[in-house]
Formats: sequence, C-alpha cells, structure tokens
Amino acid sequence: MAETLLDIIQQSINGLMYGAFYALIGIGFTLFFGVMKKFNLAYGPTIMAGIYLGLIPLYRWKAPMWVVFVTCVAGAVVVGFIVELACFRYLRKGHELAPLMTTVGMLILIQETVVIVTHAAPYEYPNIFGDESLEVGPFLIRPDYLAILISGLVFVVLLYLLVQRTAFGRAMRAIAENPAVAQLLGVSVSRMNRLTFALTSALGGATGYLVAMTFGALQPGIASWMTIKGLVVIVIGGLGSIPGAICAGLLLGVVEFQALWFLGVGYRDILAYLLLFAFLVLRPSGLMGRPAT
Amino acid sequence: MKKIVVSSVTLFWLLGLAPGGAGAFQEEGTLRIGGMWALSGPAAYIGSSSKGLSALAVDEINEAGGVMVQGKRVKIVQSVYDDACKAEEGLTVVRRLADSDKVLFSLGPTCSSVAEPVFGILQKRLGDATDTGLQFLFFTDTAIKFGLAKISPWAFRNVGNEPAMFDLAFKLVKEKYPELKTVAVAYESDFAHSVSTWKGATEPAVKKYGYEVLDVVEWRFEDTEFGAQAAKLRKTNADILVMMTHTFTTCGAVKEFKRQRVKAKLMVGITSAASTETLVGCGQAVEGLIIPTNFAAISPKAKALADKAWAKYKADSNLHSVPAYENVHAIRGIVEKVGIKNEPATLLEDRRKVRDALAGLGTFQGVLGPIKMNGDDDPVKPRDVDKAIILVQAKGGQWTVFWQPPELEKK
Repeated sequence: MAETLLDIIQQSINGLMYGAFYALIGIGFTLFFGVMKKFNLAYGPTIMAGIYLGLIPLYRWKAPMWVVFVTCVAGAVVVGFIVELACFRYLRKGHELAPLMTTVGMLILIQETVVIVTHAAPYEYPNIFGDESLEVGPFLIRPDYLAILISGLVFVVLLYLLVQRTAFGRAMRAIAENPAVAQLLGVSVSRMNRLTFALTSALGGATGYLVAMTFGALQPGIASWMTIKGLVVIVIGGLGSIPGAICAGLLLGVVEFQALWFLGVGYRDILAYLLLFAFLVLRPSGLMGRPAT
Repeated sequence: MKKIVVSSVTLFWLLGLAPGGAGAFQEEGTLRIGGMWALSGPAAYIGSSSKGLSALAVDEINEAGGVMVQGKRVKIVQSVYDDACKAEEGLTVVRRLADSDKVLFSLGPTCSSVAEPVFGILQKRLGDATDTGLQFLFFTDTAIKFGLAKISPWAFRNVGNEPAMFDLAFKLVKEKYPELKTVAVAYESDFAHSVSTWKGATEPAVKKYGYEVLDVVEWRFEDTEFGAQAAKLRKTNADILVMMTHTFTTCGAVKEFKRQRVKAKLMVGITSAASTETLVGCGQAVEGLIIPTNFAAISPKAKALADKAWAKYKADSNLHSVPAYENVHAIRGIVEKVGIKNEPATLLEDRRKVRDALAGLGTFQGVLGPIKMNGDDDPVKPRDVDKAIILVQAKGGQWTVFWQPPELEKK
C-alpha cells in the first residue's frame, strides 16, 4: 500500500514537471487566441523550426549551449514573423476560418521542409543537465525536468509582469477585450499583433530548446506533437486563459504519467483524449475560460 | 491543340510518368533494378545503409564491365525511392518501380510494416491468369518479421531468422551466465518488427531456456519519455534486460535507465540495433549489450567491405545492409545464367525466369560464407535463407564478437 502511494507520488511529480512543457506550449497558443481571437496551428512548427535552427551553430561551429538557446529563440521569432506575414496579415477581415486553413498549410510546409532538409533523421540535442537524477528521499527527480518547471515559473512570472504592469500589456489586454474600442483609443492592432507574434514565438523558442534538450534527440514529428498537446491544453484550460493553460498543462501531464504507470502506454493517449472529450461535453468553456454568450 | 499535347507530354516527362522508351534496356545497354527503403524518418539510418551497400555492389559490377546479357555487357542502373517506412508510400513506390521504371526486381523495403502490404499486392498464384496481382520480384534485404516471404511467391528475402537467432542467443547466455535467472522486457508496441520479434522469437526462447519473465513494458517507436517504464524495470531488479526496441528509443531508454539506477547484469538487444548508429547514439549506456546478428567485420573480406562502404557512401555494414550487397551480386549471377532478353516487351517473362532461378538457387555466396535459399516448397520458411549467426557485444564503443560459429572462426 505504502509502495503504491510512493509510486503515485513519484509519477505525480514526473507528471507535474513534464506538464510544465504542456503548460508553456499551451500559454503560447492561448496568447494568440486571447489577443487575435484566432488559432495559429503553425505555432508548433514555428517552435520546431526555431530549435532546428538552433542546431546550426552547434553542429557547424560547436557553439556553446547559450548560443544554441539564443539561436532557438531568434529563429522562432523570425519564423513567427514569416507565419504572421503569410498566414494572417493580408487576409481579409470577416473570414475567421481562413487563418485556420493558412496555418494548417504552413504547418505542413514547415514540417515537410525540415523533413526534406534533414531526411527526418534524429539529431542529437545535448542535455546540459547530464544523465544523473537527484535523489530526494525515496523519490528520483530529473534535473532537466526540474529546470523546466523552474523555467516555466520564471516565464510565467515575467509574462504576468509584462501583461499586467506595462503599456504593452495594457494594450494587449485592451485588444483582447475589444479590438475596435482599443483602436479608437489609439492602440495599433496590427502592431500589437506583430508584437504578440514576437512574444509567443520567443516563448516557443525557449520552450522548444528545453523540450529538445530533455528529449535528447530532435525529429520533425515534434511539431505535430506540440500542436496537438497545445490544442488539448487550451481547450481543457479554457480558450484565452493563461492560468487555465497552466492548470490544464499540469493536469494533462499528471494524467498521462498515472495512465502510463497503472495502465500502460496504450492508455496514455486514450485517457488524455477522454479528458478532452469530457471537458468539451461537460464544461466546454474549460477550467478557466469564459462561458460562451 | 498542338500546344496542349506538347505541354502534356513535357509535363508527364518532367513528372517522371513517361513509360520506358522502346529503345530502353538491352538496346541502350542497361539492366534496370530497383530499391525502396526508409530513407527518411526514424528508420532512415537503416535504409540509407542498405542503399549505400547496394550502390557499392552496382559500382563493383559496372566497373568490372557490367552484366553479360544476350552476349553483350550491360550496365546496371538502379532506381531508388524513399518509402519513409510508411505503408501508403511503399504501395505507391512499388507501382512506380514495376510499371513506370520497369525494373527487373527490387531490393527493400526496410520496414516489415511496409513489406506486409506491399507483398500483399503481388501475385499469389504463379502462372494463374485470374490472379491479377503484381508480377514483380522482390529480393528483400531488411524487412525481417518472420514469415513475410510466405505472402507471395514473388517475395524472396535474405534476412535473419530471428527465432533461430534468439534461440541461439539465450542458449549461449544460459551456458555462459548460468547464475542469471530472471528477465524484464521492453518492446515497441506500435512497430511490427518489435512486436513480432518479442512475441515470435524472443519470448519462446526465454521460456525455452527457463528464464522467469518479471515484467514486460511497452513504449512507442517514436516515444521520447521513458520515466514510468524505467521505474517499472528498476523495480523488477531483473538479471537480464531484453530490449526489443530500435536504436532511437533504445538510446533514450538506456539513458533513462542510468538516471533511475536500473542495474541489470546483462542486456540483450533486437537484431536491428546491431549498428554503428546504436554505438554513436547511446554511447556508454549500451556497454555490454549483446545482439544476435548475421554480420560482423570478422574476416578480412568483411572488414574490407565495411571500410569501402563507409569510405564511399558513409554506409554502415550490418545485418540489414550487407544483404543488399549480396543480393545484387546474386541476381547478377542468375541473370547471366538464365539468359534473360532484357527488353520492355519481355519484362514479365524475364522477371519470371529470374524468380524461378532464385527459387531453385540453393546455396549462393555471401560476404561471410555460403547462404542457403529455401525453395518454394520449404514448409516453414519458403523463399527465406539460412545463414550463419553471430553474437556481437558492445565493448568500448565498438561491436566485438561474443560468439561466432566454428566454421567462421577458422577464416
């Protein structure tokens, strides 16, 4: 009995730490939706492209990992701008579903480009935290996962300060509340959209670096994985809600690890999607989203 | 109208859809062969090596003057496609090789999950006009799932016999380490080769030699997180870890084992993991891993081949790629012996001649020694081969010989 309890706690710890990935990816998706009221399905490939670009200084010049990190962030921002330009900026208003389709197209375009360039062969991504776990009482803690949890907390605090305490954040919230009124008050919606892309892409690049490092190897399938997890998280958390994305990400991580431990790999995804369906049917607004009016 | 016709023809030509010209084959002095492997995706490291070794065989034959057909030396031209280890891609590629490129035969595919549907569209009853299946010859080098060649009489394989390989592996492990009694197992539940090797080859061997299976964990072919499975394996405290998983997940998993202090006395791996990729990707974490295989650079000829393949094509010589080299040479011998016409109009007739000769080939020369091709009438393994089994072990970043048959030792 005591052993089972220890197992549950160990898997919950792992799930919470791993769920921090999901939360960070979900925050990116939800920021897009909160500000622009549109889905950006090319967010996962944007992150993937960023982390692949990060490999260039590593493989070509054996650059230190901080250079790789900066390149990941900068690369994701550049690709994010391309996505904004190609999929959002010149689309006519009144066609809400158009960005959904253009970003699906961009998802395929970016993913296939990476497949062609890399032959989809896995590329090793060095883990700066090494291969040893920390022993905390009866529990084993992966230092890289712990770093992600801590980084996630730092990112969230910085994001909170940016959104709540700066002029940029006020403008962002104004647009999220009512873009027409915000524009009348002198906020440039198109400029804010571009800045939102830059912010979410930078967050994605930083998250992607951490993800690739803990995976130990990088392959293009990571883009679809991030897109699917991100969408599940924002639906469970509530569209446009950052606290909702955080809670949903952590919840999803714990559910997946417990399912894996008690039921096996086949049930990991089944339970995650059952959770999604349960929310869609019983609480469509998610954990912290606004109920539809 | 003329413009439309010209444009259509040009477009078809550019798309590679133009049918083989009347002047092709014998007249142009070429013999067309094909190859379809996983050249992208997580299994690309396996397919790329097969491609390299087959290209090396083609180079050797062409540099020696080519293949003698109808009294004339013709050069081998190989069409190579990437099936990405996906069944739907494989089904498209095989049609292209058979109908558009009009090749005599094809090597590959890499993945058993591709071979199964691809062999499924081949003709099942030879010479039966009502059986409209594709009359196309495969001489497979990699897809190793047991029994795949039974699907069609057009499917031949020069691949390892995994039930025999794991039977031998556990027999020898039992002899050398009699104190080891328990095993824990990991396999990829969504990958045909992994599932079939565990259930059809390893599990029977483990039971036969009296090992107690303490736990069996699963993960997916493209998984990257192994925390829960590693924790389960650690709890078993098994003497032997049986890793029926491919290189990508094996490397991720063994690193997680290290983090979680999973300490087995011995690890036994899947045949496909006996590659340089595993040593490079997993590093020290696979030290001591034992794998049954059909190839190791244990003779001067094998070593020279491995060095040449690496120098010329950066291709790793292993149990999957070396058969591609052997198969091309074997087909050259058959073509010269049976006297094909090598014309577009006689393509089906030529394929049938080569198929029949392959079925009656008996023994042919492999890199390490003789290989016996079983005929159509073999009750257990029709159109599959019997060949020497070697056990290799990862030591100091290299594959070393753990055991080899006495006849190879003499060489």
